Amino acid sequence: MRARSWILPVLLVASFLALWEFAAHLKWINVSLFASPSVIVRSLVKLHTRRLPEQSILLTHIGASLQRVFVAASIGTVAGVVMGVLMGASRIIYRFFDPIITILMPIPGIAQAPLFIVWLGFGDPTIITIGAIAAFFPIAFNTAAGVRSIDPQIVRAARIMGVSRAGSFARIYMPSAAGHIMAGIKLGWARCWRTVIAVEFVAAASWGLGYMIWDASEYIRSGVVYGGILLLMIVYFLIERLLLDSIERVTVRRWGMIQS
Amino acid sequence: MTHRPRTSGINASLWRTRLVSAAQFVFPFLVIGISWELVARTGLVSQASLPSPSQILQKFWELSVGDGLLWRHLGQSLYRLSIGYVLAMTSGLIFGSILAMNRIVREMFSPILSLLISVPTIAWVPVFLITLGLGDRTVIAAVFLGGFFAITYNTVRGIEMVDVNKIRAAQTMGARGPRLFASVLLPASSVSVITGLRLGIGYSWRALVGGEMLSAMVRWGIGKMIYQARFWNDVSVMFVGLLMIGLTGFLLDRLFIRWLERVTIERWGMVPER
Repeated sequence: MRARSWILPVLLVASFLALWEFAAHLKWINVSLFASPSVIVRSLVKLHTRRLPEQSILLTHIGASLQRVFVAASIGTVAGVVMGVLMGASRIIYRFFDPIITILMPIPGIAQAPLFIVWLGFGDPTIITIGAIAAFFPIAFNTAAGVRSIDPQIVRAARIMGVSRAGSFARIYMPSAAGHIMAGIKLGWARCWRTVIAVEFVAAASWGLGYMIWDASEYIRSGVVYGGILLLMIVYFLIERLLLDSIERVTVRRWGMIQS
Repeated sequence: MTHRPRTSGINASLWRTRLVSAAQFVFPFLVIGISWELVARTGLVSQASLPSPSQILQKFWELSVGDGLLWRHLGQSLYRLSIGYVLAMTSGLIFGSILAMNRIVREMFSPILSLLISVPTIAWVPVFLITLGLGDRTVIAAVFLGGFFAITYNTVRGIEMVDVNKIRAAQTMGARGPRLFASVLLPASSVSVITGLRLGIGYSWRALVGGEMLSAMVRWGIGKMIYQARFWNDVSVMFVGLLMIGLTGFLLDRLFIRWLERVTIERWGMVPER
């Protein structure tokens, strides 16, 4: 049953790729715009091996993007959780920041890029700042929702039993809101990843997957453009499976907060 | 209709609550605006890199009332948004329904769909630039793709989650095929469908701004306005553009999606009225 469910989609993709390859070889489609699958793979391999002894261009691009995502998302996570706990714990803070988040959250990262380029210049500072902002919003929002959903009776009971105000954060707020926080972190990291790639289109100085795709599209190297998108899928899949799922497994799932 | 004073009393208190919540919404912006203005007046920060709110408002006035350029930019953006979004809405609903109704098609496409969803919409823009050119078509394609996945995904989920007993009851009473779909499945899944439409218009709006910035042949559009301001380092224009993007995104949700909710799921009593 499990194996069968993979047969159809794999067959579909394989026949689509075969048709694409076939059409490219017979020149039914413009191969400089629609690079055939074999050309895509070849251009990725070439990018990897061209300057190999010193560095792999392909891996440097991927590494640059990943490094930005990790730095930006970590900053955004810490700031978002702190902000979310404050908003969840205090009604006044919530009322004050909720409208601001509502208006600012839908503004796409790439639109903020020109502004931050003026302030911080091209390259890492701009990309990481916008990436951190992108991660911040959903994490703050979800953390606030999680903290607000805690039954005040539990907090009161704990306080009566002698838990200090600071202690109640560590012992009650954080563990009870962990499911919400984790959901926010997943959303926030995915958003950060998308934003970093987008901002790299306009603000990267020389490295990054977004820069690689953008640069290739300007010179109509369609093999690299399609290959770059393939890499985006693979890298995101790996981030989600290896990193976020394992964080979830050792925290909220082990605590029995969400169904596995 | 006869007018009864009691309803007007209820209306008055309703309006008062609305006014209070509107004031609560505006208040933080006023606080930040005023303190920002005060900091800017002290001259600690350079005006060129961080203009004061009054300068931004003045720029907004110039662009909106003065030469009306802002409305031309915004109009072009909304035009592209409406074409791309309507395309995404119709094809997303149709494709989503097909996926939900037919198990083989669903097994074929849903893994591919979840793989494609993981690619940021903006990353397709270079592909469109190569294949569709540097103009409007690329932007509209980005808008379409931004909305399409969210609408499709939520349509599938909505129809899948319809109570099986409802479907059986309708089938017993003779509803089949298109009739079953139109009078049972679609209304029963409309909460999820509207969630999809809401997410979709947000994604479409964001994709639009990115698409406009990256397409070289596009002259007008709110994204282009911000992008062009970079060449003159005109930070006030950027702020006006960013605020318009946030505000328009918010209004699209509040006006269009809220209206849709009110005439469908709220009227049908599927969710409590807000």
